[in-house]
Amino acid sequence: MNWLFRTLRTSIGKKLMMAVTGLCFICFLIVHLIGNLTIYGGKDLFISYVEHLHALGPIITVAEWGLLTLALIHVATGLTLFYQNLRARPLRYKTSKWAGGRSIGSATMPYTGVLILGFVILHLFNFHFVDKENASIFQIITTAFANPAYVIIYVAAIVVVAIHVSHGFWSLFQTIGANHPKYMPIVQTLGLLVSLVFGIGFGLIPVYISIMV
Amino acid sequence: MQPDAKIPGGPIQEKWDRHRFELKLVNPANKRKFKIIVVGTGLAGSSASASLAELGYFVKTFCIQDSPRRAHSIAAQGGINAAKNYQNDGDSIWRLFYDTVKGGDFRSREANIYRLSQLSENIIDQCVAQGVPFARDYGGLLANRSFGGAQVSRTFYARGQTGQQLLLGAYSSLSRQIADGKVQMVPRREMTDIVVINGQARGIVVRNLITGEHESHEADAVVLATGGYGNVFYLSTNATSCNVEACFKAYKKGAFFANPCYTQIHPTCIPHSGDYQSKLTLMSESLRNDGRVWVPAHSGDTRRPHDIPESERNYYLENKYPSFGNLVPRDVASLNAKDQCDAGYGVGPTGYAVYLDFADAIHRDGKEVIQKKYGNLFDMYENITGEDPYKTPMMIYPASHYTMGGLWVDYNLMSTIPGLFVLGEANFSDHGANRLGASALMQGLADGYFIIPYTIGGYLAGNSLPDVNTSHPAFKEAIGESQNRIEKLLSIRGNRTADDIHRELGQIMRHYCGMARNENGLNKSIQLIRNLRDEFWQNLLVPGSDKDYNLSLQKAGRVDAFLEFGELLAIDALARKESCGGHFNEAYQTEEGEAKRDDENFCHVSAWEYKGYGQKPEFHMEPLVFENVELTQRSYK
Amino acid sequence: MTPETKTITITLKVWRQKGPGAKGKLETIQVKDISTHMSFLEMLDVVNEDLAKNGKEPIEFDNDCREGICGMCGAVVNGIAHGPKKGMTLCQLHMRKFNDGDTIIVEPWRARAFPVIKDLIVDRSALDKIIQSGGYVSVNVGGSPDGNAIPVPQEIAEKAMDAAACIGCGACVAACPNASAMLFISAKVSQLALLPQGKPEAAKRVLEMLRKMDECDFGNCSNERECEAVCPKEISITHIARLNREYFKAGFFSEFK
Repeated sequence: MNWLFRTLRTSIGKKLMMAVTGLCFICFLIVHLIGNLTIYGGKDLFISYVEHLHALGPIITVAEWGLLTLALIHVATGLTLFYQNLRARPLRYKTSKWAGGRSIGSATMPYTGVLILGFVILHLFNFHFVDKENASIFQIITTAFANPAYVIIYVAAIVVVAIHVSHGFWSLFQTIGANHPKYMPIVQTLGLLVSLVFGIGFGLIPVYISIMV
Repeated sequence: MQPDAKIPGGPIQEKWDRHRFELKLVNPANKRKFKIIVVGTGLAGSSASASLAELGYFVKTFCIQDSPRRAHSIAAQGGINAAKNYQNDGDSIWRLFYDTVKGGDFRSREANIYRLSQLSENIIDQCVAQGVPFARDYGGLLANRSFGGAQVSRTFYARGQTGQQLLLGAYSSLSRQIADGKVQMVPRREMTDIVVINGQARGIVVRNLITGEHESHEADAVVLATGGYGNVFYLSTNATSCNVEACFKAYKKGAFFANPCYTQIHPTCIPHSGDYQSKLTLMSESLRNDGRVWVPAHSGDTRRPHDIPESERNYYLENKYPSFGNLVPRDVASLNAKDQCDAGYGVGPTGYAVYLDFADAIHRDGKEVIQKKYGNLFDMYENITGEDPYKTPMMIYPASHYTMGGLWVDYNLMSTIPGLFVLGEANFSDHGANRLGASALMQGLADGYFIIPYTIGGYLAGNSLPDVNTSHPAFKEAIGESQNRIEKLLSIRGNRTADDIHRELGQIMRHYCGMARNENGLNKSIQLIRNLRDEFWQNLLVPGSDKDYNLSLQKAGRVDAFLEFGELLAIDALARKESCGGHFNEAYQTEEGEAKRDDENFCHVSAWEYKGYGQKPEFHMEPLVFENVELTQRSYK
Repeated sequence: MTPETKTITITLKVWRQKGPGAKGKLETIQVKDISTHMSFLEMLDVVNEDLAKNGKEPIEFDNDCREGICGMCGAVVNGIAHGPKKGMTLCQLHMRKFNDGDTIIVEPWRARAFPVIKDLIVDRSALDKIIQSGGYVSVNVGGSPDGNAIPVPQEIAEKAMDAAACIGCGACVAACPNASAMLFISAKVSQLALLPQGKPEAAKRVLEMLRKMDECDFGNCSNERECEAVCPKEISITHIARLNREYFKAGFFSEFK
C-alpha cells in the first residue's frame, strides 16, 4: 500500500483528497438541506423527519463517524496545503493584484475553511451534543434562534459556507480532471447555483425560525 | 595556405556515405573517456550535446542564458525545409540542393549542401519522434507550405513558432541526457577564451556570470555553436545576448573567419523609432503576399498616407519588377527599400521606412479575410507602434536578420584549429551569400544531430590526444588575459556606456556595410571603427564590479569583440569586388541594378586569419568548384 | 514614429537586492521624458544608462529576445506578472499603456523555488529540473520512423501545440498565490500525453515530474486560475485538468509506483 501513500502524498494527491472529501460534504449538505427544509412544513413535519432519521440507528452512527473521518482528512490536508503554500512564497509581494483568475471564494478558501470548522463545532455543540432527553430538538432550535446573536452568527456562517462552496464546487471538478470545454461552463454555473441554494436555503432557516417564534 | 575542405571524392550522392564509412570509429567502451565541450544551446548546440551524449561521450554544455531553452533559435517563425516530397509536387533531394545552391548565389559548397538536403528528411523524422507538434492535415499527416518563394511545398511548421518547437525538442533530448548524468549543463557562463594546447583545442575558459569568477574546463574536443554576428549592426532581429565574442576568440586563436561580409537583411521589419530602440521586430514575409509597398512620388512629402493621392504614390517594386512585384526575394526587396529612402522618399519620423499598404487587399477581400490571415501580425504591429494597420498603412524597413558568414570549417565541420568544431549559424558553410527561408533550422539540426556525431568520432579516433588538465599553464594564461581585460574595462571609468558605443558602431555598420556597400564607404567605415575603438578604450563607462551579476560588463566585452569584428567585416566586403546575395557592392550591378557576380575571380570562400591587434588579417582562399550545377544569373523581372 | 508620440514622466519603484542572501528594498526613481513608443524594457535601459552615468549601479534584469518568445524576461509590474496587458511578456509591454505621472512598482518573481540572484533576476533552474525529470520522449537520434508513420489527428496536434507554446518564463509561478508550477508542468505533460509519441512513457513521466515539482519547493495548486490569466501564451488550465487525469491514471492504474 506504499504506492497509495506515495500517490496521495503529492500535491495532486492532496488536492484529490480535498476534492473527494469536499464532494462528500456537498452531498451531505444537500441531504442536510432537504431535511432542514421540513421546518417550513411546521413543527410536526420536522419532528417526524428527525424521528425517521434517528430510526435509522446504526446507519447514522456509521455516517457520523464517516463524516468525522472526512472532516479530519479535509481539515488536516487543507491546513497542510495552507502551510506549504505560505511557505512556498517566503517574501510576499509589496503590491499584488488579481489578474483575473481569482474570485472571493478562491482567495479565501483556507480562511473560510477555518471559520466553517469553528462553526461546525459550535453547531454540533448547539444541536448535537445537547441534552435531548428534556427537550425536543425542535424546542432546542427555537430556543436558540430566539437569541438574535445566534441568528446573526448562523446567517454569517452560512454566507461563509456559500463562499467556500462557490469555489469548491467547480474546483473539485477541475481537480478530478473533469474540465471539458463543453461541460465546464455548466459546472461553473451549477457551482454558483449550489452555493446560492445553500446560502438561501440554510441562511433563511434561522431567520424564519426567529420570526416564527 | 589554402584551407583544405576535405571534401570526399566520388559522385555527390555518395560523398557522405563514403565519408561515414571512411571515418574512424571510437570503440563504444572508450567513448565515455572522451570529454567534449559544447558552447551554446541553440538548435545546433542542444542537438549536438544530446546526440553526442547518446553515443556515450561525456559532454559539458555551456550557455549564456539561465537555461538552455532560451537560445535565439527559439525565435525562428517560418519553418524548416525537408525534401520529403510528401506533397507529390516534384520535390527531391536534388531540387532542394539546387534551390539552396542557387539561393546562396553560387557561393557555397556543393558537397555540404547536398549532404544537408539528404539529412533534411531525417531531421523531420527525428523531431516528430521527439513529440514536436508540427502542423497536420485533416488526415493526420504532416502539413507543408511553400515558403520563401520556393516552387514546391517543402516547409514543415508549427504555427509561427517552428523554431521554438524544434528547439524545445532538442532541449528535451538534452534534458534527458542531463538527467542521466551524461551531459553536465553549465548555464549563465560566457566563454572568455578557447585553450589550444599542442595545436589542438583542449578546453575553454568561462566566466560565471553570477559570481564573476573564471573557470577552466578541459576537453578532448570543443564544439562552438554560438550563433551569428548580426548584432554588429546593433539594431537587428537578434536577441540582445547574441554576440560574436566566442567565435572571435577562436579566430584570434587561429581559426579562420570565412565570408564575414555575407549578412542577410530581412525586408519586413518594424522600423526603428528612436535612439532608445534596442531591437527590431521581424514581421512575417507572408505580409508581402497581400500588402503593396509604396513611397510618396515626391521626396520630402510629409503628408499622412491617406492624404497622398494614388497618382502621387510610387509602387516601386510593382513598377520595377512587373512579374514578381511585391514578392521579389529578400535581398532585392531590402535593397530597393534602402534605395528609395536614401533618395529621400522614405517615410516616418526618421525617413527610413516605406509603406506596406493593405487598403486594396481589405477593399478586395474584406477585413475579415485579412484578419484571418494576418490577425496576429497586425496585433503585434499595433502593440509595438500604436497604429492600426487596418486603417493606416504599415511602415516597414529592412533589418539585419541572419549572417551567412562565420568560422571557416571543413566538410567535417572542423575549423582550422584541430579539435575545434563549429556548428549552426556560427559556421559559414551552407548558405553561401544568401540564405533561403526555412533553411537555418535545417542546417542547425543537421549539424548537431547528424553530422557532428560522426565527424567528431573520426577526429577523436584518428588523433593522439595527450592527457591535459586544467592546471596546464595555457588555462592560467587564458584566465589571466581575461582578467586583465576585465580590469581594464572596469578601470576606464569614462563617460560612454557600452550600449552607447555599440549604438554608434551599429550606425556605422548599417550605413557603410549594410545592404549596399561601396569602396569609399567601406574604407571610411574602417577608419570610423578604429576611431570608435580608440574611444572605447579611453571613454568607456562600466558601472559596478566583476564580483557579481553585471550585464554592463558583459556587454562591454561583447562590444569590444564587435568593434574588432566590424573591421574584419568591412575588410572582407572590400576584398570581394563583386556583388552576390547579401553582399551588394554598388560598383558591381547589372544595368537593371541587380547584383552582378564575378564568377571568374570571386567564385571562392574568403577565409581570414588573425595576425594581431590592429594588423590586417591574412587572406586565404578556398576555391568553390561546381560540378553539378551550372552557374546562372538570378533574375526576377 | 507617429504624430501622437508623447513623453511621460513616471515614478518607478523598483526592487533592488544586492545578491541572493541580501535584504532587498523598493527604490524610488523619478524617470522623465519617456517616449510612449518605448517598450517597458527599453524604458529600463534608459533608466540604467542614467544610473550608470550618475555613478550608480544599473537595475539588473533578465532579457533576451525582446519579442516574447525566449521566456527570459519577466517581472511583476504593479502587482501583475508581465504587467497589465494580457497575453504578452514584459518585453512586449509598451509605455503607451501608462499615463503621465503614474507610479510603477516593479518586483521580481517571488517564490521559494525562484531565489533572487540580483535585483529583478531570479534563478529559475527548478523549471529545468522538472523537465529533466521526465519532460521528454526517450528517443535517441537515428532510427526514428518516417514522420508520416505516426499520424496525429489535426485537432490533437493543435491542442498539443497550445500546450507546447509554453515559454518557461515562470509567470505562472509568480502569479500563483501559492507559487505553484502546475501550469508549467501541465503544459509539458499535456503536450506529450496528447501525442502518440508521448504515450509509452506517460505514466512514468507524470509521476516523476510531479514529484520533482513538489521536491523543488513549489506550492500546491488550488485552482485560483491566476496562472492562466497572466500566461503570455494564454495556456489554459484545462491542461492542468489533463495533468490531474494523467496523474490519477498513473498513480492508481499503472504499474509504476
